[in-house]
Amino acid sequence: MATTDPTAGFRTILVPVDGSPASMDAVALACNIARKNKGKVYAVHVIEVKRSLPLDADLSDEASSGEGVLVQAEKVAQEHDFKIEGELLQAREAGHAIVDEAMERGVDLIVMGAEHKAPLGEYQMGRLTQYVVRAAPCSVWLWRHPVHE
Amino acid sequence: MKVVIMGCGRTGAALATEFDSAGNDVLVLDADSTAFRFLPEDFRGKTHVGNGMDIDVLERIKLREADAFVSTTRGDNRNVMAAQMAKHVFGVPVVASRVFDPLREEMYRNMGLRTINPTRVQAKRLKKIIEAPSDEAASEVVAAFLRQEDE
Amino acid sequence: MTSSARMYIIIVGGGKVGFHLAKELVEANYEVLVIEQDPEQARAIADDLGDIVLEGDGCEASVHEKAGTRRANMLLAVTGDDEDNMVACQVAKQLFNVERTVARINNPKNEAFFRMLDEVDTTVSATSAIMAHIEQGLPTTHHLIQLLELKGSGLELVEVRIPEDSRVVGAPIKSILLPYQSMICLVVGNDGQPKVPSPDTIIHADDEVIAVTLHESEEQLREALMSPPPVRSF
Repeated sequence: MATTDPTAGFRTILVPVDGSPASMDAVALACNIARKNKGKVYAVHVIEVKRSLPLDADLSDEASSGEGVLVQAEKVAQEHDFKIEGELLQAREAGHAIVDEAMERGVDLIVMGAEHKAPLGEYQMGRLTQYVVRAAPCSVWLWRHPVHE
Repeated sequence: MKVVIMGCGRTGAALATEFDSAGNDVLVLDADSTAFRFLPEDFRGKTHVGNGMDIDVLERIKLREADAFVSTTRGDNRNVMAAQMAKHVFGVPVVASRVFDPLREEMYRNMGLRTINPTRVQAKRLKKIIEAPSDEAASEVVAAFLRQEDE
Repeated sequence: MTSSARMYIIIVGGGKVGFHLAKELVEANYEVLVIEQDPEQARAIADDLGDIVLEGDGCEASVHEKAGTRRANMLLAVTGDDEDNMVACQVAKQLFNVERTVARINNPKNEAFFRMLDEVDTTVSATSAIMAHIEQGLPTTHHLIQLLELKGSGLELVEVRIPEDSRVVGAPIKSILLPYQSMICLVVGNDGQPKVPSPDTIIHADDEVIAVTLHESEEQLREALMSPPPVRSF
């Protein structure tokens, strides 16, 4: 009674990375699916630029820490015997940038890691996660990390 | 002195009453006719139902002849727009506005309007009342404020 | 920090006017930000046009701080309330030194007042524009219609329909004696085709002429383009 594997169609996968453990797990997850399907993984780190600065402002500190996050993602991929493509973006809002990027690259799937955050005592899905789940045209996987006590 | 007051809330009505009892010629303007209930029975001034940002209304009440114009509605933007109309279009020599937003209040004061920010003044006064050593002393502080204002 | 060559335009008010303006400006490759108070409306615009929306009150300094109004080249205040448009322009100019402000005017009676304000560079009133068209349709109109005031320079853009008995009918533009600092920019003929005129362009009856002039030269320009030829005595 085997139904078709829903992950079989996922060839190109986009993973937003912010350096959090959850986002690195998302990279690992994406690599495993992509390897199985002979696909591709894009890791994207978005630098949010305040509106007081032009979008193409030279933000070298943010850029170098962003590069660091991408290097970290590449290491995770290597551990899973896979090679990914990293990209650094500057945008006003990360959510919009990720959805735009997913549309431009025509990816089949976005895998997103999210930490369990309860700033007001109650779990709240982050603004970025909410936006991507709502607006992305492709499939979205949300990898929520276990609750840390 | 001929005074036009825009906005007949508690502040506008209290102000109208003050000017009226001091023997001035007062006109109170409010878009809502039920607002005039805040005025006392023996108020001798005029009331007019209308929007104080409407040039036609201001023309009708002969704002040009007024010596002072005060806007005290709940809308900061309405208050400063009417005040600037009174000043620039009708040449009223003295115009004043209540502005709740402290930043906007300061800006319009710097631009030459007479403005007051009630929130800042109230906060300062409430602090003095709280700091008074006893309830009696607090009442005395309030009475002193009013006396001070009358001088 | 690199400076962006793109012009940064802030729109206060994301209603119909603000939305369509934003859409046009984005398509024209300007950097655009819409400040809209209503969360639902703000979200609707973001869904349509992307992350070019800031939810907040365009009359508040703190919102302009976030919007980066200090580096904006232009602010367009196009809400449905004149007082909000006025305050948005004043805050932008006084506190953030925006180069140019444009205010939408809802009540046409406010136009003269808005022109008195230093913080409003240009006023745009749909009502006045439509009124001008109605007046223009009336055969008896011997007016010149003001389209736009270019504040600061004292110049304005005006429209004139050339009457049949005008002295300039049949004459080339180079022969028309225009007042100081006045210029004919566009001639729209009977066929509705706009033409940038050359000195040899011939003016016909019923042509629509768009000209730039000084406010104080309006009457002279009207004379030059609309009055009948002087009567010659033999």
